[in-house]
Amino acid sequence: METSLPAKFAWRLLIGLLYVFLLAPIIIVFVVSFDTRQYLAFPPESLSFGSYVKVFQNADFISAFWRSLLIGAIVGLGAVTVGTLISLALTRYRFRGEGAVNFLVIAPFIVPNIVLGVGLVLVLAGFGLLDTYPGIVLAHLGITIPYTVRTVSMSLMSVDRRVEEAALVHGASPFNVFWRITLPLIRPGIIAGGVIAFLISFDETTISLFIVSVRSSTLPTEIYRYLEYSTDPQIAALSVVLILISVAVVIVLERLIGLRKAV
Amino acid sequence: MADKHVIVEQLVKTYPGSGAPSVDHVDFDLEKGEMLALLGPSGCGKTTILRMVAGLITPTSGRIRLDGRDMAEIPVHKRNMGMVFQSYALFPHMSVAENVAFGLEMRGVPKAERAARVERALDLVKLRGYGERRITQLSGGQQQRCAIARSLVIEPQLLLLDEPLSNLDAKLRDEMREEIRDIQARTGVTAIFVTHDQDEALSMADRLAVMSAGRIEQIGTPRQIFDRPATEFVANFIGAGNFLTGTVVEPHQANVPGLGMVVFGLDAPLGKDVRLLVRPHRFTLNGKGENAFEGVVRHLVYRGDTLTLDVDVKDRTFLVDLPTHAGTLPERGDRVTLTVARDDVTVIGTAA
Repeated sequence: METSLPAKFAWRLLIGLLYVFLLAPIIIVFVVSFDTRQYLAFPPESLSFGSYVKVFQNADFISAFWRSLLIGAIVGLGAVTVGTLISLALTRYRFRGEGAVNFLVIAPFIVPNIVLGVGLVLVLAGFGLLDTYPGIVLAHLGITIPYTVRTVSMSLMSVDRRVEEAALVHGASPFNVFWRITLPLIRPGIIAGGVIAFLISFDETTISLFIVSVRSSTLPTEIYRYLEYSTDPQIAALSVVLILISVAVVIVLERLIGLRKAV
Repeated sequence: MADKHVIVEQLVKTYPGSGAPSVDHVDFDLEKGEMLALLGPSGCGKTTILRMVAGLITPTSGRIRLDGRDMAEIPVHKRNMGMVFQSYALFPHMSVAENVAFGLEMRGVPKAERAARVERALDLVKLRGYGERRITQLSGGQQQRCAIARSLVIEPQLLLLDEPLSNLDAKLRDEMREEIRDIQARTGVTAIFVTHDQDEALSMADRLAVMSAGRIEQIGTPRQIFDRPATEFVANFIGAGNFLTGTVVEPHQANVPGLGMVVFGLDAPLGKDVRLLVRPHRFTLNGKGENAFEGVVRHLVYRGDTLTLDVDVKDRTFLVDLPTHAGTLPERGDRVTLTVARDDVTVIGTAA
């Protein structure tokens, strides 16, 4: 298709503006994080790494970071395992209650997180799981499993059933068919689902605020609590660190397996 | 019967929700080392039969016996069969050698022996030196060979081939046809293959079963199927033909209304109506024969090695194939006399 030069230029400008709109908050946070004043303002007057140093000296942040990392890792693994099993059931078998499972899997997409949060408080309190690792992990599993089911199901649907049948006919037990054929073929979907689950858990605030208090506070809840009393560039610096971690994870995986293909 | 290698008895498959069975009381058997073709139009149930034999589909009723064992209780992966799929279904994340080794690995064959057998299997299908390649680096024909090697390396008691040639282009198809036949003969493996291509079935199989709507119409050697079709469906599906209906008035003679007496070689009961079949290439032109029909050439197509004629004889048209070496060829509008020997007139339903 032939496009006139001005039209091409206008199109590029539009796209450029869109990117600016999307990235502006991140750019402003990035700039503010180097400000030396003890409150959040734009533009900064003088620049330093002082806020970053303070973030890394803040024991609450550091311990919350390790907690979030651990919780994220457990949630990522758990969501992928459960998500893969659900995906297998949904794509490979017809069973009674399939529709119900399908609905349950997409329910967390529809129900607002704040409603989920209230519900989880009531349920987890009954089991004495409020402000515990199992409590927060269960809550995060609930909201991340829908994503892993999606990515893994997509991968599963792209696997040629004849390939699995060929393995079966040539002597592989059903378990070996899964282990040696299906699993390697859906690995991109599994890794993508795991990463997404990890990132969601690592980032999740609304539900966590209901469930955690001191013992199991995650990094986002720690940031939220900090913001209640002070607004200084430390928060901006911490945000930048979090963004960089997320970007790093995505880039590494993109390089390793081509994440874009899997999602 | 009991010592046949493969015995399929009264096999039925009815899918829930569909009225007519996809496979309807099918019986056949194979000797050891025999190659049987299941031939029929798409949807006739031939692939369903193959998948039931493999164990990928559970029959509604009926029995499948392999080497004396009833397959009903034996799960797919313990049946010791090989299968070549239409789409090859190679394992895309493994190398050629890993694909071929897979069945041996699953059977717990030690590594050294495995490597040697994989090497031999690759030799057999002319893929020596391709072991390290990725599947995606192979051409269609090579993938086909790889799939065959994967199935044969386990020395299966039965090899199943599902439309093995339909994804290849015409030239390669002819080549692989002979090669599969050759490999089958050399390994002595018993094989069932499914195809909708009559040439393929005729040229590759020891016997073929022609299927229609879930039933076997006829089972026999290529020659029996071609020359002695049991039903009109078989006669039509395999090759072209001229069909005549007549009443048997004397031994070996039928009165065909609007044409006259037709002499045939087979026995048919007196007074009965019969359907007669004459293959287009069994006619001779202006020769001598018991059956002579005068007609006019209405249309002709030159095909290089044959000349195809439409000849109007009284109120019907005969399809005639003539070899083109026969000196002067007829032209449109010529008056000709078609003759056909009595042994080339087949009575449909008198399967020998």
